[in-house]
Amino acid sequence: MPVEQTRGDPFEALGDPTRREILRLLSTGEKPVHEIAVALPVSRPAVSRHLRLLKDAGLVSERSEGTRRIYHLQAGGVRAVQDYLEGIWGDAAARFRMLAENTGRDEDEATVR
Amino acid sequence: MTAPLRIQFDVDCSAAHAFTTWTSRIAAWWPPDHTVSGDPEAVIVLEPGPGGRIYERSPLGLEHDWGTITAWEPPWRLAYSWHLGRDRREATDVEIRFVSLEHGRARVEIEHRGWERLGESANRPLIPPWRAAPRTMRIVVGSAELALAWCERARLTD
Repeated sequence: MPVEQTRGDPFEALGDPTRREILRLLSTGEKPVHEIAVALPVSRPAVSRHLRLLKDAGLVSERSEGTRRIYHLQAGGVRAVQDYLEGIWGDAAARFRMLAENTGRDEDEATVR
Repeated sequence: MTAPLRIQFDVDCSAAHAFTTWTSRIAAWWPPDHTVSGDPEAVIVLEPGPGGRIYERSPLGLEHDWGTITAWEPPWRLAYSWHLGRDRREATDVEIRFVSLEHGRARVEIEHRGWERLGESANRPLIPPWRAAPRTMRIVVGSAELALAWCERARLTD
């Protein structure tokens, strides 16, 4: 399998509970792959696959220490997370705007509830 | 510190109508797939006034607290704590300002901040609440925790 891939989608990467669990584990500090694997109820190859996806999405980085690979959170990933939250608020804002612009302006008190 | 999230947009109605729509019709405009239960039949309730609760109620009457109103200044300003079914100590803050513009229009300014408060739990093992929540909400809650985690990391490495 190729190690390097085109940049992945951070939202897709965050959309999986195992990957979020990995990010949570790494939030306390960098960890080698085996430490991540023992903390999760999935196979080692699955962990590697998740890590690769997280790396492609720019959420984690790795470094080598001898034969071990140590993973850590990538600081720049926060931007992707904020973008995502912005998307949710953007969705809410669009719906709010449509409702506000298409409901009575002077009978607010009468239309409550 | 994770920077506050700021969003603003203009709306073709008065600030007063925007405030009223925001507060009294949240059930109609909040995206129905961004709830704690994920139940499309769930009703979102915002109790007007300082200290008012914002919560979601399922058809069976099960309630999930979303937050509490901390500032109620119609029609210009509204603020509430926002924890979406999580521990109140981990609430973030949402503030909305409604600014009057010319020609009967208004600007809505949303600021979502206080991400650092999630730190109370980010490094403590817990049963992630999103295990029981639908996908979208899990992402939101998970993302907020991650935003904090990155913030912590940045502080350590700067």
